[in-house]
Amino acid sequence: MFLRIVADSFGRRPRHKLLTGAALALGMGVATAALSVSLDVGDRLAKEFRSLGANLLVTPQADSLPLEIGGIDYRPVNAGAYLPEADLPKLKTIFWHNNIIAFSPVLEVRVSSWTPQHSPASATFVKPAANGDSILIGAWSNHSVALPDGRGFLTGLGQTNPWWRVDGAWFQDGAGECIVGKAFADRNSVIIGSPLYLATSSSSGLSLKVVGIFTGGGSEDNAVVTSLSIVQQYVGKPGQYRKLYVSALTKPEDDFARRDPATMNAGEFERWSCSPYVSSIAYSIRQVLPGADVRVVRRVAEGEGQILTRVRMLLWLVTGAALLAAALAVGASSAASVIERRTEIGLMKALGAGSGTVGFLLAAEQLLLAFVGGGAGYAIGIILARLLGERIFGAEPEPSLIVFFVIIALAAVVTILGSALPLHRAYRYEPAPILRGE
Amino acid sequence: MGDRRPTNRAMFWRIICRLFGANPGRLFVMLLALGAGAAVTAALLNLQVDAKRRLTTEFRAFGANVLITPRDSGSKGFQPDASTLDSSLYERIPRRNGDDLVAKASLLYGIVRVAPWDARSQTSDSRRTTSAVLVGDQFFGHDLAEIFPSEIVAEPQVTAVMGVAPGVAVSGCELGEQLARQLGVQIQQFVELQSNGSSLFCFINRIRRFGGPEDSQILTWLVTAQELLKQKDRASVIALNVPGNPASVQQYVSQLQSSMADVDVRPIRQFTEGEAKIYNRISGLLTATVAFVLVLTGLCVMAAMTNVAMERKNDVGLMKAIGGSVHRVLRLFLAEAVLLGLAGGMIGAAAGILLSIGLGKAVFGVAARPRLIVYPVAVALTIIVAIISAYPLRRLASIRPASVFRGEA
Repeated sequence: MFLRIVADSFGRRPRHKLLTGAALALGMGVATAALSVSLDVGDRLAKEFRSLGANLLVTPQADSLPLEIGGIDYRPVNAGAYLPEADLPKLKTIFWHNNIIAFSPVLEVRVSSWTPQHSPASATFVKPAANGDSILIGAWSNHSVALPDGRGFLTGLGQTNPWWRVDGAWFQDGAGECIVGKAFADRNSVIIGSPLYLATSSSSGLSLKVVGIFTGGGSEDNAVVTSLSIVQQYVGKPGQYRKLYVSALTKPEDDFARRDPATMNAGEFERWSCSPYVSSIAYSIRQVLPGADVRVVRRVAEGEGQILTRVRMLLWLVTGAALLAAALAVGASSAASVIERRTEIGLMKALGAGSGTVGFLLAAEQLLLAFVGGGAGYAIGIILARLLGERIFGAEPEPSLIVFFVIIALAAVVTILGSALPLHRAYRYEPAPILRGE
Repeated sequence: MGDRRPTNRAMFWRIICRLFGANPGRLFVMLLALGAGAAVTAALLNLQVDAKRRLTTEFRAFGANVLITPRDSGSKGFQPDASTLDSSLYERIPRRNGDDLVAKASLLYGIVRVAPWDARSQTSDSRRTTSAVLVGDQFFGHDLAEIFPSEIVAEPQVTAVMGVAPGVAVSGCELGEQLARQLGVQIQQFVELQSNGSSLFCFINRIRRFGGPEDSQILTWLVTAQELLKQKDRASVIALNVPGNPASVQQYVSQLQSSMADVDVRPIRQFTEGEAKIYNRISGLLTATVAFVLVLTGLCVMAAMTNVAMERKNDVGLMKAIGGSVHRVLRLFLAEAVLLGLAGGMIGAAAGILLSIGLGKAVFGVAARPRLIVYPVAVALTIIVAIISAYPLRRLASIRPASVFRGEA
């Protein structure tokens, strides 16, 4: 009988039920979309922030003080210490190896350069006056790092410095090619394809072919960039580098993250090293690269953390607002649907139904509606979240089961709360006046 | 006919009042739905406008994004002070980009010898002498903090100045963490700086951690550095932090470049480009989410209102039975919807704006500035939603009074 009454109520007034259900589904749809996007946005934005480049800088511990002005190191070539390139695959073996998305070792040397100019008179290349001093940077480009587990990891300057724009092509590893900065190219009228001769005061010359011209927007626009192995051979430091840029996905730092790991107890240390804070990633890199000093590039890391925290909070607020609006609207429509059924309630009571039975019946109806509406809303919300994710980040958020349960529970709570007040009043209805239409 | 008009109007309003008063429960439900919709609309619109602006000021954390350098920099080889610009250019840089303050710092770089001063033996410790980069900053400490985000490692509670020797030039300075460690010095000690035969003592006010090349530098006043490096009125670079969205930064840069012909004004691509990308993503995300929430909030409110409207059958039936024309009956209900929308919208939007001020404070630490335009927009939207929700009442026009009273419909 109970089921029959419920089924009858749905069958008799499909329009009303449909409207209430639609309100529920839409409200829950918004809630689902907002929840899915908020859950996902941290990871997505963390990836976006990597367009700012490296957030960790590794230098030799025993290094002398760098005399760096505007990105150029004024130290003599033989000063300072170096780190072994052979240790680098270990970076992808640390606990946070999946968070390390790019790294590139760098070795710089001061050189003087000249570009041979074609002399039409003698139909040969002649050596003009030197271009002047410049910096030769040795680095990786699309370098495949052989990992201990046999796989390769492709990384290089293109990944750590994504804002570099290269006209032409990147140099090939070890192929005697180079790319030059825009300012350097303009000053020395170097074009793609022309040869470039380099020399330091102490060593013999080096000839490279220009395959690309890049703009970085910093002092590197005055530099020549070629593969690390060429520079290593050239300065007589095979297998060594001086600086390592690491770009890692991190979680914004909070007060806990800023504590000194030395003062933590075992439990706290466990929690700290199991969160991808930039400081705990730096710590685990230090463990695998002996003799290295790993520093957080504060400028990048701090700004990133701050903005991530803010945006996350903002989105949670928008989600909260969406949930609130959905809850109120759904509550209002379930309240309305109970109010309009006074006559029915009166009749049921007149036929001898207790207040409890009537309440239970109505609540069951509302709950059924909540599950159907909530389920439909979840489906709508997932589609919305996909659209949003695809349009903005080019990737869809993963549908999460937690969101489904949260949405169904929310739908149930909201409909019950919305109908609670009118239901409460329904208890006190006297059947006679209602049936008389008063 | 003419004399019946005031009576008609009085009757019209009387019916409206009755419609409101007849069922306080229903009135409450409708106001709640409309008000909630209006509150969310107003809060989100206000917050969205404010958040985008606030976000651009957050980019300040990335430090300088525009550099002004001498035109020929880099061509004169490896003397750090080979090419400089006139430090008075600093004054010519506009302090504002739109509503936002531009942070600027005029900096002079040079390489000096640094030695810790031993207060006991009254000599410089020559064994610990090292070369380091000296940075002079026009408004030392103040500008710098805005341009290079840093963390203060050590700072004295009270600044106490101890004399070195009478007649010796003394200045204040700050040390990068790495340099301080290398020299083995603490705050409130002296270091001696030497360059080209002249020397100067400076008192360490603070030790900072930048996480960049600044960690091995000494920071001091621009005039002090100019004097020591013999570069009177010169600067190596002027670093700017220009807030604003990507387009306005670009515009600021090109305006500045056209007003200063003999120097290079160039954005630091690493940050301007990254900022632009992130800004576009976040503002797109925000706009899209807010739009979705608004549209669906409107639909939710509409669904709830329509539900309420459907139960008006009895009222319509009665009105038609005593001779009301469909036109006039509909007008009554539309007037009711407009009034409800107005009331719900005004209360809700006010609550929403107050809410957004609080929310702005929670997210960005600064209360969101209420935008007056948001209020009428939110109220108007609410009224529109209320009117559209009353639309299904048109169906009621076909109601036959008799069947309503028989309880058939």
